[in-house]
Order: sequence, then structure tokens, then C-alpha cells
Amino acid sequence: MKRNIVIIGGGIAGMEAARALLDLGHTPILVEASKMLGGHVAFWHRLFPDMSSAKNLVGRLETEIAGSRILLNTKVLSLNRLADGYSLKLSNGSVVNASVLLISTGFSLFDARKKEEYGYGIYDRVITNSDLEAWFSGKRDARVPDNPESVGFVHCVGSRDLKACNAQCSKVCCATAIKQAIELKECFPYAKVYCFYMDLRFFGKKYEDFYINAQRDYGIRFIRGRVSEVGETIDGRLQLKAEDTLSGKPLKVQLDLLVLMSGIVKNDSIRELADMAGIETDSDGFLRSIDNEYAVIESNRPGIFYAGACTGPKTVPETVAEARSAALAIHSYLEKL
Amino acid sequence: MTERFDTAFHPFVIPFLAGMAFVLAVCLIKAAIVVRELDKADRRKWILSLIHPNIIIKNGIDIILDCLIHVRLWKRNRLLGFMHSSIAFGWFMIILLGHLQVLIYCPERLSTFYYPIFFDYFIEGGQYTWISRMLDAFLLLVLAGISLAVIKRIWSRLFGMRRTTRPTFYNLIGLYSLWAIFPLRFLAEQCARAGDLSVAPWWAYSISLCTFMVVLPFGRYLHIPAEMLLITFRNAGLEIKKPHKGMARVQADSCPNCGVCIDACPMNADPANLKDSTVYLTRQLRRGNAERVREISDKCMLCGKCTQVCQVGVDGPKLRILARAARKYRINPDFSNAGTGGGVRAVNKVLYFSGCMTALTPRIGLSVESVLKKAGIDYEWMDRDGGLCCGRPLHTAGRLKEAAGLVRRNEELIVGSGAAVLLVSCPICYREFKERYRLPGIRIVHYTDYFCELMEKGLLNFEKSDVCYVFHDPCELGRGCGIYDTPRRLISKAASIAEAPKNREESICCGGSLGSLSLDFRRREKITQASLENLYGSKADAIVTACPLCLSTFARYSDRPVKDLAQIVDEQTKPI
Amino acid sequence: MTDFGFTLSRSSTLDLQRVDEERFEQLCKLEKGASVCIGCGSCSATCPAGALSGMSLRKILLAVQRGQEVRTMLQCCMLCGKCTMVCPRGINTRNLILSICSIYD
Repeated sequence: MKRNIVIIGGGIAGMEAARALLDLGHTPILVEASKMLGGHVAFWHRLFPDMSSAKNLVGRLETEIAGSRILLNTKVLSLNRLADGYSLKLSNGSVVNASVLLISTGFSLFDARKKEEYGYGIYDRVITNSDLEAWFSGKRDARVPDNPESVGFVHCVGSRDLKACNAQCSKVCCATAIKQAIELKECFPYAKVYCFYMDLRFFGKKYEDFYINAQRDYGIRFIRGRVSEVGETIDGRLQLKAEDTLSGKPLKVQLDLLVLMSGIVKNDSIRELADMAGIETDSDGFLRSIDNEYAVIESNRPGIFYAGACTGPKTVPETVAEARSAALAIHSYLEKL
Repeated sequence: MTERFDTAFHPFVIPFLAGMAFVLAVCLIKAAIVVRELDKADRRKWILSLIHPNIIIKNGIDIILDCLIHVRLWKRNRLLGFMHSSIAFGWFMIILLGHLQVLIYCPERLSTFYYPIFFDYFIEGGQYTWISRMLDAFLLLVLAGISLAVIKRIWSRLFGMRRTTRPTFYNLIGLYSLWAIFPLRFLAEQCARAGDLSVAPWWAYSISLCTFMVVLPFGRYLHIPAEMLLITFRNAGLEIKKPHKGMARVQADSCPNCGVCIDACPMNADPANLKDSTVYLTRQLRRGNAERVREISDKCMLCGKCTQVCQVGVDGPKLRILARAARKYRINPDFSNAGTGGGVRAVNKVLYFSGCMTALTPRIGLSVESVLKKAGIDYEWMDRDGGLCCGRPLHTAGRLKEAAGLVRRNEELIVGSGAAVLLVSCPICYREFKERYRLPGIRIVHYTDYFCELMEKGLLNFEKSDVCYVFHDPCELGRGCGIYDTPRRLISKAASIAEAPKNREESICCGGSLGSLSLDFRRREKITQASLENLYGSKADAIVTACPLCLSTFARYSDRPVKDLAQIVDEQTKPI
Repeated sequence: MTDFGFTLSRSSTLDLQRVDEERFEQLCKLEKGASVCIGCGSCSATCPAGALSGMSLRKILLAVQRGQEVRTMLQCCMLCGKCTMVCPRGINTRNLILSICSIYD
């Protein structure tokens, strides 16, 4: 059998893995369900903490993987296990046999309509983090007012929340909120921007600087209290209720725009893929690695590897690092066959 | 027809007589205790009812229909109904005809009490009369019932029951002695008729009767006399007032342990809750096991399904609320000084009360408001910016006095507003308003009823969509307040409607109920999933309900859209 | 010790070693959720009784944890269950409240 490598999912994890595999002398097949590569990052405006352009990153990767076989608009319909690999039936009608599968299906963003009390889809001035990124990238959005006086960011929407069926931290939203708050402040320098948080988690390199920057240079206000509900006043402004836990008082504030930091949840189709491939999902719904310390990119089945957010929320640098290490692991796996 | 013995006596009748005396004495004492436990007003009411001709007739009819023929069980489960009524009615007829037989053919022996029971031993040639043939027919009927009972013990699924109660050792003795009575009677009679006058089968027959009667007051079979007392209590209009006494005790004692409530209970989607159905509550109440009573009472979601299916009318939720009420807390809330702002003015208008939960499901309140606007109704929204709770959660938690305090505060506010109609969107609030509020001159109405009226008056201009909805009957709206039709009328006007396999009175609780005190979030998921599975069975595109709790609970796990009825009415109506 | 004729104000420092945790431990037995609160304040923010009386379940639970007095803080709870609905940790807050009510005398 030809030593095919099939990468399922053409986000930055799949792209970076393809790039690294090309470097190592392989020709991976990259299967992507949507019409374009880049996944969520392709729709993002800038990346934290350096504020570099997300489009540039995706664009650069795209040129670098031109040598691999890229199948867009293609889904995996079925997956059979063979004695020495896997056979995939694709939605374009072809059947591909592969010695190695790399799963890089990424994540889904939490559907903010499920937190009805925050009014997404109900009130006119409530948007999500991904709506805001699209607006930053130039897409028109009637919900963003021309000159907002005050803007609120709600952290942890659909993450760390059992009621949203996702108890885990989404890892990237705290930094994303700050990044978006800064970008928004750059658009509307006179707007008051509030971030409502339960805990702030700035663990990465330069993140704390980023936080200080937001406080000191952009005057973004951080309020420790989880928003409980959002209403609308008669004049169409949003009225938000939280507890200011640090002063111990109930708090309300009127806003012109509310941004919900939708969390990272498992990819909707991951369960189906896992069942077909005979790999396991974890209690959080993401794919289960052999362990969560040393072998995060390895599955319980030989020849199936993971990269990126299919195993849990990841930042861009973590995803890229995982993709490279998966490429290396695949290379040595094939060498040993 | 001749008497075989001049003495008209044999020692084998002694066990029967002793058992009979024992059971009568114990039951009378038990009844006296229960009547003593009633408060004065109730006792008076009950005694007066016993001499009221209409109620006497009703008592008679109810006892025949419920205790002997088991009409309600027939409606639920025909095989089970046949089993129970063939035993109860057959046995009753055997007793009745037996006495008639003695009255006709040897009236001087009627005073022995045991002649009707052992007739064929004492009388020769009695089997050729019409009455004897009828007796044989009824004995056959009972035997058929008993054989069904035996089959049910081994294979309950045949009766459509997935789960039945596990009888206790004591109840097993009762069960086996009951099973033994009739075949032994048959055997003894056949022997005697054939001329074999050996007393062994008669002894066995008498002893099994005695065993059953001695066990009766202490096990599930107490339900036989207790149900009769319950029927007279119910027809006298008595309600449960004390947690373990009076009416509550009779209800607990009336439970026949048939186990119909086990399969009905929505909590049993999770096997961990199998022992918390009402049948186990009544069992523990009888045993006086306070700890288990507390556990069972606290866990229940008070959906009312067990009462719905119960053939004797045990009010499971009420028993539990009162068990909760018996608990004393050392911190007690007080609302007499609760600041409620200036109060709302809505003179002669519709006053809309959305309730606490609706603040977390804003689309309900906004849709109701939008529909009212379209229909040109003059309204005020009482608790748009928050308000007092209706009191039902406190009430179901057993904090009755505190709930009453809250009700009084709300009454002042609502009456003070001058409103003509109190419009409610939350079924939990609605039930409390209906059952516990005194709002003279103010009509209390749920929006499903109200919107239906608006529709019939032509104030709502519907545009039918081609989406197919299934309506989930919220417990408090359906079983709680009897509203089943108006929601369906509205939906069929706005879209097409499908029905779930279990709907209306049989609807399965969503699992989000405030009724439960101890079920925590994680232990509710299976219940919600089971309820959703039932709704998926309708093959509808989307689920619609009319309760903020059902809405948010379903929205969490449902694989298809979940909407509130107000939202659909709003979406499918155009301003006139 | 010499009496100087004036009293020193008691230290406002919370000495964790001296905190009486008995009631909190008792509470955790009655309602396991008591131990997983992250103090996000959702319950207090959504509480209708909070709007009336300033009640804050978050503060009450913290006070129990710190061995402080809570008796007067629960006067207006209507058990309406909104706090249960919003709690991100899925704490059965109504059982928590009833349990607190039952352990203080």
C-alpha cells in the first residue's frame, strides 16, 4: 500500500502539519469540509499578543502547502479500518487508502443563543467575538453602533459553565477579549469598555504585558462578576446585571454594545468521526489523547494522530507546535513501518 | 339438600373466625385513630357527609366502581384491570352470594358467620342450585385473576409494566396466602361434593384465610378497607392537612402497591431514582421511616404524573409537600417589609406578570408583549424590571407560612394596581395564582387561554407556517391547571402540529422542575433526555412549550429548535 | 496586664487558623455543591431578593466558610430558583439555602 497521509481538517493545525510533512518529504492529502483553508483563524482579524494579521498567517501557510493534495468542500463519509491502515470514502466520490490519519478538525464556537439570558439573537446590540472579528475585517454589521458610549465584554460565555454543557475553560477568550477591547478602543477611543470576568487567565508569554497594556494605555475596566442577565431599556440600550463581587454590590450598567466571548466547544461532527475511526472521546467531548502530559497528539489507535483544538482548546502557537510535533511523529511512525 | 352434621360445627372454622375477629378489630381501631386525627371541622364535615343522601349514593357508586371493578385501572391497563377486578369483584360476589345461599336454604345458620364460607362441607347436595352455579362461576373468575397474578409476578412485562414493586417478606406472606385461598376452596368444595369429607383441605382453606386476614392490616392489603374510608373522606371534601395523619394516613394506607406509578415516574429514567416513586413513599410512610420519607419527598419533582395514573387517587405531590412542611428551619424568611417600590398602576387594564424565571428567557416576555401590542390590548408589565416571586417555590418547598406571606404581599400589589385581568406566562406562577391567591374582581388567565380568545375574537391575524411542532405539556399547565386544548388550537393556527406518544395528561416532566429540592443539575440530564426522546417520537421539526423552565431545560440538550408558544404566536401573526 | 483605660480595636485580620469551619463542613455534607462555588456572583446578580434586600448568596456562602454570622442575611430569600438556573457550577443553590437555614440555630 502507498504510504498515504490523510489530514482531516484544513485549519492552521492541518495546514502547518501539511507544511512540515512536505518538508520531511511526504505528500499529504489535506481534506477540508468547507470551501476554504484556515479554519477559524481565517475569519479572525488580528492575533494576540503581537496583533499580527491572521490573514497573513493563513496566506503564508497556503502558499507553503501548495505542493500537497488539497481537497476542499470534501467530507469524510465513512472510514474503515484495514489491516495496515485506513480506507476513507470521501464526499467527492473517491476512496482513499491511508497508512496514517492526522485529525485536525479543530473546534466549534459555542452557540451564544443557548445563553438566552444574554440576549444574543434577541436584542439588537448583542454580538459575539466572531461577529466582532468579522466587523474588524470590514464586514458591515448593523448591530455595531456608529459611536458607542459604552461597550461590555462578557467572558466565559459557554465555557466554565455546566449549564451550557461545557465545564472547561476555553483558554483563549480572556486574551481575545483584551485584544478585541483594544482594537475596539482604537476604533472608538471615547467609548468606555468594560470586561466582566469570573477569573482572568493570562498564562502565555507576553499575555500579562498585554493585560497591563489594556488597563494602562487603553483604560479598559475589569469588573469581577459574571453577568447574570441582560435586558433592554425603552430607548433600545442594553441593561446588564452582574454582581460587582469585589465591592459586594449588585451592579447594573447601560451599554450600547455587548460582545459575548463565545467559548470553544467540541466540533459538532467529532463524535461521528471518532466512532468511525475507533478512537475515543473524552468527558469534555473532545478527542481523548493517550495522556494529557506527554502524548497529547497520540490516539489509542496506531496511525491516528491529533493536532490542534480537536483535543481541547488551544492557542495559535500551541496549535502550530502540536502540528509540527505530529508531523514529526508521523514521519517516524512511517519510517518504522 | 340436607345438613350433614347436626352440630353444624367443626374446629377448622376457628382459624377463620379468629382471623375475621382480628382483622375487624384492628381495622376499626385504625379507622378510629384516623378519624381522631382529623381536625374538628373535617371530622364534622365527614360525619355529616355520611348521612347526606347524595353523598351516600356517591360513596356507594365509587366504592363499587373503584374498589370492586377498578374502573380507573381498566382505563390504564386492561389486563391489570381484569386481574384486579376479577379478584376483587369475584371475591365480593362469592361473599355476597354465599350469604344469600345460606339465607335462602338454611337461614337459621346465618348467625354462625362461617356457614357461607364452608357451605359445601356442612350441606350436602348444595351444588345443584342456580346460586351455587353462580358461585362456581365467580370462583372461576377469581381463579383466572389469581393465575394472572402469578404470571405477573414472574413476567410483569406481559402486563406492559417494565418495573413493579419488590414486595416485602410480610407482603409476600399476604400474597401467597391470598393466592392459596381460592384453589384450596375449589379443592375442598370438589372433594366434599364428590363425597370425600376429609377435613385437611378445609383446614388448609381456613388457615390460609386466617393468615391473609392477620397479615392484612399490616401490609399492602390494608388498602382494601382503607380505600373505602378514603372514598368517603374524598366525597366529604376532605384534603390532606397534616403530613402523616388523618387524610394523609388514609391515602398512604390506600396505596395498593400496584406499581403503576413506577413506570409513570419521569425520575425513573435514571435507575438511581427507582425507589423514590410514590409507591415507596406510601410504604415508608406506613413504616414511619422518617429518613426515607424525607429523602423521597425531597427528591420528587412534583410533576403530578403519579397522581394522574393512580387508581386510588393518592396525591403524591401533596403528601411530599406536607412531609417537607413538617421540617423546622431556624432561619425563616419574612416578607412583610419587602420593599416593592411604588407599585404598578394598571386601572382596568391587563396586568402582565412574567415571573422570575422569564427574566432568564427574555423571548417569552418580549413575545407576549409583542402579541398584546399587535392585538391592541392596553397592558402594563408588572415585573419587567423584576419583582416578587409568586410564592410557589416556597410553597412546594414546604415553607407554607412564608409562601402565604409572599402571596399576601403580591395580592396587595395586584389588587392595588386596579387591573381587570392578570395575564401570566409562567405556568408555575399561574398555578399558584389560581390556587392560592384571592384577587377579587380580577381575572387570572394564562396567555395560552388569553391568546386563544384574542384569536377567536379576530384580533390576531395569523399566517400559517409549514413548520411542524410538537407541544410539550408543562406539568403545571397541564396536570396542574388542566390547560391542554388552547395551546394546541394556537399551534394548529400558526403551523402544523404533531403529537408525542405521551402527551396531555401523560406528558413527561422536562426534568428542570423546581419541585425537587435535592436533585442536582447533573442528575437531571437523563430525565430531560427521556422527555426529549418522547417528543422526538412525534417526528416534529421543532419543540414548543409554554413554560420558561421547560424551555431552558430542553434548549440545553435538544437536537432540534425549542420555542415558546408565545414566540410562535408572535412570529406567525401580523399587525392588523 | 496594665489597664490603660482605653480598648484596642480587635484586629481586622482574618486569621485562617482560627476560623471556625465546623458549620461549613456540616453544610458541605448536606449540600456537596457548597464546596465548588467559585464566587462568580451570578446568583447574587440575578437574585430578586437581592434587589429587595441586598441579599447575596455568594456572600452568605463565603460567610459560612469564614465562620461568620449569616442569620440576618437570608431574610428575604423566596427560593425562586433563579440562582440555581444561572450557577455555572451547577450548584443546587436551593438545597444549599435550605441547608444553611437548617444548620444555624
